Amino acid sequence: MRDHQIHRRRFLEAAGVAAGAATLGFPLPLRAQAPAIKIGVIHPVTGPLAEPGQACRLGAQMAADAVNGAGGIKALGGARIELLVGDTQTKPDVGRTEAERVINQGAQILMGSFDSGSTAAMVPVAQQRRVPFLVDIAAADPITANVAKAVKEGQQKLQFVYRNFPTGSSFGKKAVQYFGEVFKEAGVSPRRVVLMYCNDLFGQNNAKGFQAAHAAAKPSWEIVDVIPWPEPPQDLSTEVSRAKAAKPDIIAPITRPASAQLLFPELRKQRVDIMGIVGPGSPGLYEAGQLAVLKHDLEYVLASIPWANFKNPRTAKAAEEYQKRSGGKTFDTNSGYSYDGIMLLADVLERAKSVDPDAVVAALKATNYTGGLMQYGGPIVFNELGDNPNAITTMIQILGQKPVAVWPKEAALAKLVFPRPKA
Amino acid sequence: MDLTLVGQGLLNGLLFGGVYSLTAVGLTLIFGVMRVVNFAHGDMMVWGMYLAWLLATRLGVDPYLGFVVCAAALFAFGLVTQRFLVNRIVDAPHEMQILLMLGVALILENAALVAFGPDPVRVRSALTASTIWLGPIFVDVARLVTFGVAIALTLALYLFLTRTDLGRSMRAAADNTYGALVIGTDVRRVYAVAFGIGAACVGAAGALVSPILPFQPSGGLAASVTSFNIVIIGGMGSLVGAFVGGLLVSLAESLGAVFLAPSLKELVSFSLLVIILLFRPAGLFGKGVS
Repeated sequence: MRDHQIHRRRFLEAAGVAAGAATLGFPLPLRAQAPAIKIGVIHPVTGPLAEPGQACRLGAQMAADAVNGAGGIKALGGARIELLVGDTQTKPDVGRTEAERVINQGAQILMGSFDSGSTAAMVPVAQQRRVPFLVDIAAADPITANVAKAVKEGQQKLQFVYRNFPTGSSFGKKAVQYFGEVFKEAGVSPRRVVLMYCNDLFGQNNAKGFQAAHAAAKPSWEIVDVIPWPEPPQDLSTEVSRAKAAKPDIIAPITRPASAQLLFPELRKQRVDIMGIVGPGSPGLYEAGQLAVLKHDLEYVLASIPWANFKNPRTAKAAEEYQKRSGGKTFDTNSGYSYDGIMLLADVLERAKSVDPDAVVAALKATNYTGGLMQYGGPIVFNELGDNPNAITTMIQILGQKPVAVWPKEAALAKLVFPRPKA
Repeated sequence: MDLTLVGQGLLNGLLFGGVYSLTAVGLTLIFGVMRVVNFAHGDMMVWGMYLAWLLATRLGVDPYLGFVVCAAALFAFGLVTQRFLVNRIVDAPHEMQILLMLGVALILENAALVAFGPDPVRVRSALTASTIWLGPIFVDVARLVTFGVAIALTLALYLFLTRTDLGRSMRAAADNTYGALVIGTDVRRVYAVAFGIGAACVGAAGALVSPILPFQPSGGLAASVTSFNIVIIGGMGSLVGAFVGGLLVSLAESLGAVFLAPSLKELVSFSLLVIILLFRPAGLFGKGVS
């Protein structure tokens, strides 16, 4: 028994020495290195939007690895970027609590969150807690516009929310412009367009933006019926019958992955005779999972969406790495904008030379970044609303079961096929 | 108003109503026999869908045959759930029953999430691409078959309950549990079988819609709410009510999509519920409060 006690005392002594060495000795080399910069990265990685959400998370992780691999943030002593990941489940209340959670765990910057509803719910948290928030994906205009308005009217002091993604209204403007250009290029003049959309914040906002842009541009084609459906839908057969009854030349759908899986087979089955399907901008039409499920129903579908600039060799390299790390998926809108988001934040931190929220916001406002991998209309800058006016869309088409950029001409990697060939 | 569109809307609503009916019949049977509202009903349906998906993708079984296996699997699941869980709360207050059934629903939904992932999937059947054209109106063959099978199953259940000994003892236990005990009915067995049959109905319904609708683990709650709505409209515990209610709700939603903005179609079915509750609180075929 005594013997045993001595052993234990000796053990404790040894442990004490070891612990002392640990606190005094080992931290020495670490002290030279700056503490990691924590970025809360929140996306819907489970739930109905899990596929794009997981793509976003992987894109962000790849960018963080690239920054860290190249020596971290040099202006901050080579500080590494550490991602604190969160999941909105596409539920605004969850998005809000996840933002709170990552901030409580030390997040100094927020990025997210793909769906407009959750993103809008995270905005007040960022403003209240004074945490700079870069919206990597989310289109609804009010997300930034509401904050800009509150700051302008003096209710809030500083805008912490910035967005590097096209807004709903800019989606609409570009879509109406591309519609006209594509029709002209193809030498056809469709007259009747039916707009169909998912009735959530994102769908409503994009549909409104499309209709407003149409009203402003007064093109030769008209929107003959507008058909919203509750999202997620249980059945779209009657909606498609109604679209068919409007005798459309073009169906313009604003979908989510699940509703696209209902809509496209239904359009085929009901033999809706159209020149083509041209989406004004939405998920569900081009992702690897959707192509695997919908197969030929997506062939020749055109969509005006944010897209990667594959003419940039760095994009091709990132796409190759992404394909390896995702198990064969394509580097697309979602992975791409989240990748650019982290790269942009790294650039902001280099210029801010600090993680102080005011310094980060000042650097965000002064952004003029040209390293993005997506298709932009110019350098990434932020306007008075906190939006990047150079975040634009590209018209892509599903050709041979792959999404390819077809318009505008300078971005095109293939010739567009329109009207679609008769089956 | 375009008459073709109205006709198409009526047909779409009617054909989809078969599935609503079969689902609601399962729910009303469980409620009628043991006065327990099965809030896990929609999640059982989702499992029926995933079982059909497994059979189709792993073994190449068409869901229009596989539904038998799905119904059998859900029957066994229902039997076991009743014996070990539901049986303990048959006589408990409603709030305790609801808690237990919501718990079962949560477990089923999240087990599906772990097992199958969150992405929407759909099952391919040889029938999903075929359509019949009656002039300008089209009939989706998959929906027609789904409708036919759902109606046949509901009819078979009705015959079972009215023509067989076990069916009669089920109705006896539902009408008067004490009386059924007195004449020597094994009420425990009757309860377990009733829950099993209710689960089998919804399992079959899930398998039958799997070629028509894409599905994902989170879809259970919406299906539960729709079934519950139908059962209240038809009259709690009434088989005929659930059957008619299913067709009615589906027709109302489809016509709502024709005449109103389709995003308001659920407003139509829930308005129907409110109207029924105001003017016929026991439901269309309910027996009234005894």
